[in-house]
Amino acid sequence: MSTASRLLSPELLAQLERLELVSRKVFRGRVKGERRSRRKGQSVEFADFRSYVPGDDLRFIDWNTYARLERLFLKLFLEEEDLHFYALVDASPSMDFGQPSKFHFARQLAAALGFIGLVRGDRVKVETLGQPPGRLAPVFRGRRSLWRMLDYLEGLRPEELVSLVEGTKRFCIRNSGKGIVVLLSDLMDKAGYEGALRYLLAQDFDIYVVQILSAEEVDPDLQGDLRLIDCEDHDVAEITMTAALRRRYQQTLSAFVGRAREFCTRRGIAYFLVRNDVPVEQIIRGYLRERGLVRG
Amino acid sequence: MNLELANTLAWWQWLILGLVPPAIIALYFLKLKRRPVEVPSTYLWHRSIEDLHVNTIWQRLRNNLLLYLQLAVVGLGMLAVLQPGWRTHASPGKHVIFLIDRSASMQAGDVGSSRLDEAKRQALAEVDQMTSGEVGMVIAFSDTAEVRQSFTDSRADLRRAIEGIGPSGRPTSVLEALRVASGLANPSTSGDVDLSQPAALYLFSDGGFDPPRGFALGNLEPVYRPVGRVDVQNVGIVAMNVRRHETRPEELQAFVRLQNFGSQQAQGSLTLELYGRTVDYSRFAVGPGESHAVVFNLGSLTSGVLHARAATEDVFPLDDEAWVAINRPRHARVLLVTPGNPDLQRSLSTTAVQEIAELTLAEPGALETEDFGQKLAAGQFDLVIFDRCQPKQMPLANTMFIGRIPPIGGWAQKDRQTLPQILDIDSSHPLMEWLDLGDVDVVEATPIVPPPGGRVLVDSNIGPLLAISPREGFEDLVLAFVLSDQVPEKGRVYSTNWVVRRSFPLFVFNLVSYMGGRRLAGAGESYLAGQTVILDSPGPGKTLTVETPSGRRIPLAESARGKFTFQSTDELGVYSVLAGEEVVHRFAVNLFNPAESDVRVKPGIEIGQTTVAGQISPRTTRRGIWKLLLSGGLAILLVEWYIYNRRVAM
Repeated sequence: MSTASRLLSPELLAQLERLELVSRKVFRGRVKGERRSRRKGQSVEFADFRSYVPGDDLRFIDWNTYARLERLFLKLFLEEEDLHFYALVDASPSMDFGQPSKFHFARQLAAALGFIGLVRGDRVKVETLGQPPGRLAPVFRGRRSLWRMLDYLEGLRPEELVSLVEGTKRFCIRNSGKGIVVLLSDLMDKAGYEGALRYLLAQDFDIYVVQILSAEEVDPDLQGDLRLIDCEDHDVAEITMTAALRRRYQQTLSAFVGRAREFCTRRGIAYFLVRNDVPVEQIIRGYLRERGLVRG
Repeated sequence: MNLELANTLAWWQWLILGLVPPAIIALYFLKLKRRPVEVPSTYLWHRSIEDLHVNTIWQRLRNNLLLYLQLAVVGLGMLAVLQPGWRTHASPGKHVIFLIDRSASMQAGDVGSSRLDEAKRQALAEVDQMTSGEVGMVIAFSDTAEVRQSFTDSRADLRRAIEGIGPSGRPTSVLEALRVASGLANPSTSGDVDLSQPAALYLFSDGGFDPPRGFALGNLEPVYRPVGRVDVQNVGIVAMNVRRHETRPEELQAFVRLQNFGSQQAQGSLTLELYGRTVDYSRFAVGPGESHAVVFNLGSLTSGVLHARAATEDVFPLDDEAWVAINRPRHARVLLVTPGNPDLQRSLSTTAVQEIAELTLAEPGALETEDFGQKLAAGQFDLVIFDRCQPKQMPLANTMFIGRIPPIGGWAQKDRQTLPQILDIDSSHPLMEWLDLGDVDVVEATPIVPPPGGRVLVDSNIGPLLAISPREGFEDLVLAFVLSDQVPEKGRVYSTNWVVRRSFPLFVFNLVSYMGGRRLAGAGESYLAGQTVILDSPGPGKTLTVETPSGRRIPLAESARGKFTFQSTDELGVYSVLAGEEVVHRFAVNLFNPAESDVRVKPGIEIGQTTVAGQISPRTTRRGIWKLLLSGGLAILLVEWYIYNRRVAM
């Protein structure tokens, strides 16, 4: 099976073509795209006048106004800009759990959302939290970049030992532009997720947090006396699995998710909780569309 | 309950077993071999474990609960190996028969309030040891046996039957009780339960009875539980009667005999009361095993109730008292039916006989008259002497037949023979008292054969010459030869010289005295406990009621024409016979039983060919609880399994 079909099926691609990413904010992009920008630039749609200054393009002088007022004014047009879409993927070892793994699920989501952006001419960039500082992630634009994006995603590995805070901090340093940031992570960082989200908030991104949990994390199938080993820091938790402990764990998980949702909601961050055993198309066409991340 | 332990292991086995608990503890607290599992993050697991650690003590307890349970299982197993147990009362058996002696001697107070109470207590203790499925029955006995409770598995019924056993003044005879028990225990005759298995026979008694000879135990397994002590002292009144003074017959004398059944010299005082008022007093000293007689002069006493009371320090009060009832003398009503017998008539007319009897003469021809027959049938005579004649029907009276046999079944006569030689006389019978027939010759006699139950008083080489036999409350005496006969042309011809011997008038006095209703030579009337008392009817159509010493009134039914029988002579004391509300007669019931007064308990008894030793203390058996301990260990194991699975249940 080709890389493309492993991440995105042809049927899903066909469906995704009809969607577009929605930003709750209108941002200034670098290249003229299909999105309206408040910036006044060169387009066919008249927006406003301003006084001529030497050096302005003489083609845009409004001669009718000069005839009346015998002063030189320049026509201004609305700028059509492109959207910057960032898929920030948590590629820590903790994401490599579940069937399918959370990391694969995150890549699928990133691919799907990235494809939507590519089709709409958005500027799509996929980064991982552990992106090496000297190595920039490629920018993808246009439908033709789909395969490069998918290849890039396929090449990612969940081997990055970097905390959420550190990863988002680096991301914010690397990417000073505005846009939509979709953080695809399980948020299972012992240092917490709050600091990471605050970094993103400081950048004034349109932030979407998609917390991905595996079915095994939500409903762990563990029995007996166990030594749980954290795959990232090798921390050990010795437990004897009992019904009480299981109930307590689920309560703890539910409280954790609830706090994350509340944290995001209070700060205008869109929060989504998804499970890896739910098909990606169902999430995108159903869940994310209902929540306003995509439309179409 | 003293716990006993039985060590069944060697030291090295104990050493191995002793290492098990510390091994369990060591294994438990060593790091458990936990299965390593890689998880995305232990972040939430730590949070969860910390939350569960809020109630630390309970958590520690829960974490160690399995350890405790395992140690408990091992502990119980080790204790079970020691086979702990204790001696306890053994169950009496699957089928058990309780024989409880309630005779007079069981009222001795050497153990507890009385031996009977102690016997009942021990029997109740055995009943309490019965387990489900075991059946028992209760028989109370003195000289008769009473089935108080037939076979039942209800301990409540058995207890009730035992507790309801009351004392009796009767003597002891265990034979009937054994026969009743054997009859019920014999599988061929048992109707209630299948007793193909042996039945335990628990006999609670002091052993004061004659060995029941000729009795086979069969399916019975006897257990003799002697009640009482061997070393008891007792002095008791064994005889008391009232007689006419030998030289002053108008006066009465009371004779009281005491016997010492103990092993030590006994001293005391004997008080004689008349109607509750002391009339005489005597002190006595009796050596061990000896008797002592006391005579009280009563003067010209005509009637009354005499009460002798021996004041001694012994454990058996029942034989310390005796009573005699003196009733106004009544002449015996004697009828002589004879064609003529001057010698007999003369003997019946002596002063001695006249003092005690009223003689009526009648000729044999009167027997044919209806009027005379009615008199005989009405019991108007105490003694009817048929001299050379027979009635058509036997009268309601004692009879004597001379030269004839009674016209009833049972009596038989052999062929007439001449010159019989008297070989033996039964001197123990009151009729033959003081008689010497060594100088009596008989010319010819027709030997008689008394019916079964009869007694030969004079025996000869040709057969019995004088015999007596009971008949429905009366007695018939038969003489096998005539005294004399009137022969035409020869005059009176004698068949014997007895009529001219000194023994003849004495015999006639004994005859009137004994068969004239009661022995009127003495004026006191006394019976032994358990004896049947025959009472005369006060008159046609009248009924009698007997009032016992305790005040209980028992109406009597006429058993025979003019006679009443009374059998409830269990209580000792004076009984009053009432015709309506008038006391017409009194009689006394006394113990007078040396076998009962000898209250020394017998350590063993003989039943048939079996000697049964007394079992002082209840049989004990060892009850172990090792099975209980192992069961407890298994139960704890199940609990541990449940808890373990409950904890890990998903």
